[in-house]
Amino acid sequence: MFVYEKRLQYPIKIKNPNPALAKLIISQYGGPHGELGASLRYLSQRYNMPYPELKAILTDIGTEELGHLEMVGAIVYQLTRNVSPEDIKKAGWDAYFIDHTTGVYPVAASGTPFSADSIAVTGDPIADLNENLAAEQKARLTYDNILRYADDPDVREPIKFLRAREIVHYQRFGEGLRILTDKLDSRNFYAFNPSFDKKKKS
Amino acid sequence: MMRQLSSMKFAAWELHVFLDTHPGNCEAAKKLDEYRKKIEVLTKQYEDAYGPIHETTNQASRWAWISGPWPWETGEEEDDD
Repeated sequence: MFVYEKRLQYPIKIKNPNPALAKLIISQYGGPHGELGASLRYLSQRYNMPYPELKAILTDIGTEELGHLEMVGAIVYQLTRNVSPEDIKKAGWDAYFIDHTTGVYPVAASGTPFSADSIAVTGDPIADLNENLAAEQKARLTYDNILRYADDPDVREPIKFLRAREIVHYQRFGEGLRILTDKLDSRNFYAFNPSFDKKKKS
Repeated sequence: MMRQLSSMKFAAWELHVFLDTHPGNCEAAKKLDEYRKKIEVLTKQYEDAYGPIHETTNQASRWAWISGPWPWETGEEEDDD
């Protein structure tokens, strides 16, 4: 069950529209390392997690990612408020505008719509947790790249917040992986899939 | 006020997520408890002044819930702290 909280995790108040920047930042809404993929990845993987700590961490981080999706959506929305078709053309945002006007659609900076191809749910907790460690780093580097192009402090501050969260999540997933491997066969972590082969006594 | 509430809620969330992988850490659990008590008081003050932030808020009027600004709009009320 999910309940909406009518606030953002971190405040976003952007005074100056900048559709060129929105075109880049939207990648964290619907791109391959974005928040939509992150939330779907964790909230889908959790069903097969074998231990309580792992079920909890995937549920909670997956939920936080939905809050981050909302933040990125808010940034894109505010960067494209009150802009003229001329501004949009100058910013190179016109191809998007034709299909979506100033709606917030999950798409990568390259124009590719969101695809579940960018996430993995393998049913093997070792593989999934390693995927998540990589995913947090990929999101972090995307925010780093966004910061190379964003000079407006109104945009930089929430992006820096989101970047820092990726690092904390990476840490928590690392602990999750350690909790998992501590409970497996210490001579061979890969002797069996604890989510699938658990009924067989090794 | 929203800034103050958000920072406390953030601290509580960070402790909550930390406790997922460290469920036996009493110090973090104690801190979380302290933040939750402060959040409860501050949430009530905020909601009384600016309207509900949870759909479960008891005294919420229907108009207050649907009224803007929504979180993605200009933002919260001008910070008064």
